Amino acid sequence: MLRSTNTVSKSKFWILSGFVIFIHIILAYRFFQLQVLDHDEYSRRAENNRIRATSIPAPRGLILDRHGEIIVDNYPTYIVSAIGSEIVNKEKNYKVISAATGIDTATLKKNYKNYYRNRFLPTRLAKDLTIGQLSRLEEAKDELTGIIYSQFPERIFNPKIRASHVLGYLKEIDQSMIDGMDENSDYQYGDLIGWSGLERQYESRLRGDKGVTYYQVDAFGREAGNVEGHGNILPNPGNDIHTTLDVSLQALLESEFKNKKGTAIVSNPRTGGILAYVSAPDYKPDLFTGLISNQDWKTVIADTNRPLLNRVTNGTYPPGSIYKMVVGVELLEKRLVTTDWSVFCTGAYEFYDRTFRCWDENGHGKINLEQAIVQSCDVYFYQAIQNVDINDLAVRSKQFLHGAQTYIDLPTEMKGRVPDRQFMNKLHGRYGWSKGAMLNLSIGQGEILVTPLQMAAYTNLLATRGKTYPLHLVQKQDIMINAPSIQIRTWALIQDYMELTITQSNGTGRRSNPKIPGLRIGGKTGTAENPHGEPHAWFIAYGEKDDDMISITIMIENGGSGGEVAAPMARKVFQHYYGPKSTKLVSK
Amino acid sequence: MIAEFWYKIKTSPLSLLFVIGLLLSLGLGTLYSIAQVQLQAPPNAFSKQVIFLIPATILMIFMTLVSKRLVHKYVYLGYGFIVLAVFLPFFGQKVAGTYRWINLGLPFGLQPSEIAKWVIVITLARYLSDHNLQMNNFASNLVPFAIALIPTFIVLNQPDLGTAFVMMTPVIPMLFWVGARPYHLFLIVAPLFSILAASNVLAFSIWAAIMAIVLYMAKPQLWHGVAIYFGNIFLGLIFPLLWDTLRPFQQKRVLTLINPELDPLGAGYQIIQSKTALGSGGLFGKGWGQGTQTHLKFLPVQESDFIVSVIGEEFGFAMLFIMLVLFSWLIVKMIKLGLNASDRFSGLILIGISTIFLAHVFVNCAMSAGMIPVKGLPLPFVSYGGSFLLSSFMMIGLVLNFGREELD
Repeated sequence: MLRSTNTVSKSKFWILSGFVIFIHIILAYRFFQLQVLDHDEYSRRAENNRIRATSIPAPRGLILDRHGEIIVDNYPTYIVSAIGSEIVNKEKNYKVISAATGIDTATLKKNYKNYYRNRFLPTRLAKDLTIGQLSRLEEAKDELTGIIYSQFPERIFNPKIRASHVLGYLKEIDQSMIDGMDENSDYQYGDLIGWSGLERQYESRLRGDKGVTYYQVDAFGREAGNVEGHGNILPNPGNDIHTTLDVSLQALLESEFKNKKGTAIVSNPRTGGILAYVSAPDYKPDLFTGLISNQDWKTVIADTNRPLLNRVTNGTYPPGSIYKMVVGVELLEKRLVTTDWSVFCTGAYEFYDRTFRCWDENGHGKINLEQAIVQSCDVYFYQAIQNVDINDLAVRSKQFLHGAQTYIDLPTEMKGRVPDRQFMNKLHGRYGWSKGAMLNLSIGQGEILVTPLQMAAYTNLLATRGKTYPLHLVQKQDIMINAPSIQIRTWALIQDYMELTITQSNGTGRRSNPKIPGLRIGGKTGTAENPHGEPHAWFIAYGEKDDDMISITIMIENGGSGGEVAAPMARKVFQHYYGPKSTKLVSK
Repeated sequence: MIAEFWYKIKTSPLSLLFVIGLLLSLGLGTLYSIAQVQLQAPPNAFSKQVIFLIPATILMIFMTLVSKRLVHKYVYLGYGFIVLAVFLPFFGQKVAGTYRWINLGLPFGLQPSEIAKWVIVITLARYLSDHNLQMNNFASNLVPFAIALIPTFIVLNQPDLGTAFVMMTPVIPMLFWVGARPYHLFLIVAPLFSILAASNVLAFSIWAAIMAIVLYMAKPQLWHGVAIYFGNIFLGLIFPLLWDTLRPFQQKRVLTLINPELDPLGAGYQIIQSKTALGSGGLFGKGWGQGTQTHLKFLPVQESDFIVSVIGEEFGFAMLFIMLVLFSWLIVKMIKLGLNASDRFSGLILIGISTIFLAHVFVNCAMSAGMIPVKGLPLPFVSYGGSFLLSSFMMIGLVLNFGREELD
C-alpha cells in the first residue's frame, strides 16, 4: 500500500485553492450585498416583522344632565379579539378560549362571523370578560395564535332614562365613510364614530385622541413584550358635554309614554334649553354599544313602529288646533276681526256644497276670538279665515317657525311644510283648489305639516312674546330667534286667551292645570285628524312661577283628543316641576 | 506506545485545531445566545452540542492515531458496510418525512450518511492510488464515479439531496488530482448542466456557447465532438417536453426532492426570513443576544441550517467575513497538506475531505443568503447537530493523521 508516490504538480494546488478562494469571495460578496448595501431595506423589513402597533381607543367624553348627573358614562370592558391573518389554527383557538372562559365554541364562531371585517383587523370574539376569565386566558397564551385581548371603554347609560334619540349611538366606520372624509382625519376602518344624536353632533368634542401601543410579536403572532424605543402613547379622553336635560323630568315623561307613540319636549323658553326630549317608541340606548351585530340591527330596522325614527325632529304631523294662535295673530294684526266680533257656532259650517264640522257637534253658540281659542271652536275660524290671503298666512306661519328650521344642535331635522299659493297651484293645479282649502288650513289641517320640535319653538315664542333662543341640548346659541314683528297688544291678547284656555272651566286645556298657587299657565290643545287612524293629540303650554318658566309640547300619535290625553300629561310635568313635592334643584 | 501516540499527535498539523477551535466557539456562542435569550432549559442545542464534543474529540483522537495501513486495508470492507448502513433507515421509522436516521436505542439517532461521506472519499482514494489508471482514457473515470454513485443514489432516495450532493462532489477534484482530463470531467457533468439550463432560454444559450468553446479547445475527434454537442443540446430541448408530460403531482414530487423545504404557501418564507435576519444585522450586527428575527423565532431552524443568519444578525458582516476567512484558510490548508503528502493515498484523502468541507460551507452559506434553494446542510463546527459534529471531527482526525509529514 501507499506505494504510489504523490506526484502532483503545484499548478493543481493553485487551481484548487483558487477555486476555494473564489467560492469564498462569492459568498463574502453576497453577505456584503445583503448586510451592508441593502441593510436599510432589510432593517425596515425586520421592524415590520416584529412590531405591531394597535390603537388604544380613547374613552369618549361623558354626557351629563343639567344638574351634573351622568347620563352616558364609560366602563372598561375586556374583549377578546382575533386577527385573522395571524391565526394558525382557528379550531384550536376556539377550544382553548372556550376552555379558559367557559364560553362555548359555537358562540365564539358566531361572533367571529358577525364581527369579521377583514383579515388584518381584530375581530371580536367575546366581551365583558371577568378578570378570572382573563387570567386563565393569559395562562393559555402560548397555545393561542393571533389572539389579542384589550380593554375597551364601552358606553354605559343612566338606567333611569333612555333618551336614545337625543343621545344617539356609535357605529363602526366603514370604508365608504373613510373615503368621504378629508385626508387629515385619523379615523380608521373599524373605529367607532358618533352616528346619530348628540354622539354625532358633538363627535369632535366627545371623541378624544386615540393612543397607540407598540409591542413585539414573534413569528406566530404571539405577543413578546414591549418594544424598546417605542413608548406607548396614551389615549387622550374626550371632553364631557353638559346638556340642558333634566334626568328626573325625562324619566317622568318616558314613563308616561310607555306603550304610546309620540313626542314630548320640555324646554326653557327664555334660553331655548331642552329639559326633556322624548320620542316614543325608542330603543334601548345600549343596543348599539360597542360593535353592533347584523342580527340586532335587522331586528330594530324591521320594527313597524319605527323606533329608530326621531319623531321630534323628523316626524311631520298636521298641527291641528294649536295652529289657531297663528291664525289669531294674523286676524288681529291685519285688523280682520275685532275682539268683539263673533260667529254663531252650530257645530257645523256650510261652505258652498261642503259641510265643515266643528269638533263639538253640539256647537259653541256665539263665539268671539277669545272663546274660539279657549274652547277651540273651529267654526269661528272657518268664517274668519275667508278674508285671509294664503300667502300672508304662510308668511305668518313661518314667523312662528312652522315649516322652518329650528337649528337645534342635533344632526338632522325635517322642515315640514307650510302651503302657499304657489305650492297649492303646483299640488292641485291652478284651479284645482279653492277657499275650502283655506278653511281646513285655518284649523291646522290639510296641507300643513310641522315637526313637534317646531311646535316647541313656537310655544317658546308665544311664551316669551318672541324673545326666545333656538332650542338646544348643549350649546346655547348667541342669536335670538327673529321675533315676529307684531304689536304688544296682540301678544298680550293671545297670551290671555291661552291662559284662559287653561283656567276657564270650559277651556280645552283645563286638565293640564295642577292648580299650584303662583303658577301661571298658558296653553292650547290640538286634535289633528289624519289618515292613519285616531287623531293625533296635541298640547302645547308654558308655565311660569317666580320667574321660572318652562314650556311643554306634547304630541301623542293617534292618541285622540288633545285636551283629554295630552293635557293631563302636561299637568304631571307642571306638578313635577313646580309642585311642592318636587326635589328639583335650582335650574341654571 | 503512549510515546508513539504522543509523537504522532505532536507531528500532526495542529494549527488546524486552533482555527477549528475558533469556529467552534463562534458556533457555541451563538447556540448559547439562542438558548439563553429564548429561555430554553437544558437539554437545549447548546448543552447537547457541548456534550457531543466529548465523543467527537475522542473519535477525532482515534482517527488521528489509527494506522494508515489499517485504514487502507479495510476501507473496501468499510465501504460495503456503509452502503448497507445508508440502506438501513429504510427499514426503520420515517422521521420528518425522511429515512435518514438509524435508531439504536440511544437517546439520539445516528445518520449513517454522515459517515458515508468520508468513507466514500477513502474508498476512492484507495482505488485511485492502487491502480495506475490511464487517466487520458475517458473510461477510467467511470469506476470512481460508480463508487460514489451507489451510496449517493440510496441517499437521494431517503430523500436527502444535500448529502447526496456532498457525496458526489469529491469525485471531481480527486479525479482531477490524479490527472483526469478536465475535458472528461466536463463531459460527465455536462448533461446535468444541460438539463438545469433548459428552464431558461438565456441560460441555455450561454451554456450552449460554453460547450462549443470547451469542445473547440479540447479538439476531440470531429464526430465525437458533434455527437456530444448535439446530444447535450437535444437533452436540454427534450427535457422540458418530458417534464410537461409529468402530471402536476409528479412534478411536485421532483421539485420537492430538489427543494425539500418547499413552502406550501409558496412564499419562500424561510429564505425571506433568513435574508431579513442577515440584512438587518448590518456591518457589526445587533449585538449578542439582540437579534430580534432570531429570538422572536421568525428565523426557522436557526440552530442548524440557518445559524449563519443568526451570526449575521447578531454579529454582522464583520463576523461572517472573519468566519469565511477561517474556512477558506482551513480548506486551502488541507489542500496544501494534500500537495505535500508523501503518498497519493493520503493526498487524495485530504483533497476529498477538503471538498466535503467546501461543499458544506458553500451550500449552507449560499442557502442562508438566498442564492440557492433550501437544502438542509449544516455548517461545519458551527451548526448544531450531533452526527455531523462527530463526522466532522472524525474527518479532522483523518486530516491530522494523513496530513502528517513523516512516512508511516
